Amino acid sequence: MVNPLILIHAAIAEIGLFAFLWVVVEMLNPSETRIARAQVAALTGFACLFFAWLVGGFYYVEVYGLHIKPLIKASDAKWVHSIVMEVKEHVFLFLPILATLTTALLYKYDEELINNRDARLSIVLLAGLIFLMGFSIAGMGAVISSGYRFALMTGMA
Amino acid sequence: MNSKAITRAAAVTITLIAAATIGSELSATFKQLLTTIGGHHWIGKSVLSVVFFGLLYLVFAKVSDDRFALKDTGVLIGTVFVSGLAILSFYVLHA
Repeated sequence: MVNPLILIHAAIAEIGLFAFLWVVVEMLNPSETRIARAQVAALTGFACLFFAWLVGGFYYVEVYGLHIKPLIKASDAKWVHSIVMEVKEHVFLFLPILATLTTALLYKYDEELINNRDARLSIVLLAGLIFLMGFSIAGMGAVISSGYRFALMTGMA
Repeated sequence: MNSKAITRAAAVTITLIAAATIGSELSATFKQLLTTIGGHHWIGKSVLSVVFFGLLYLVFAKVSDDRFALKDTGVLIGTVFVSGLAILSFYVLHA
């Protein structure tokens, strides 16, 4: 059975990533109302990514490290851990920092974003980067799940 | 809030995460030091990233003016790509 923690981790993180995509959309042509919505979206995304960090971290240390990693490393797909998981777990650490920065800039510049091109474009680029990086990391998660299934199947054969 | 300072703090913290990631694979002593922080080296890196982000912001806020420019974001995005690529290259080469 799939551990519910991994589902919570993935679902919350993806909600957070879509919240930052929402920020991008609102900031393309900002108005006072759109900036207010973007602030709510960024705060939601920030909260979701921090929660996903805590849940994913607990799962990684308490479940993955003890039960899944040894199986993957003993299989022919050991690269799934030694490359994909290692990159995923460390590059993920960039996301909460980028989310904090993006949310902070949105609240600092507030309605000034209508006329401040540099700040507005910075927020669009950072929120877009969070979305793209986040879904690349989600893709790595899918590869790790496949690696685990492969390890289970070849282990039973 | 000082926008330039927080952007620079983010760039340096991300560089430090990449350096700590590679450093902990190359030095067992350093990995053990990170483990003592939170019981697992990844938790150690997580805690340190938050602490350094906060401390670096305070330091940069003392020395940076608040004239935020798109160039600062460009440097940060470049740092993210280089740091991510360094981590990926390291694990591909050492797998």
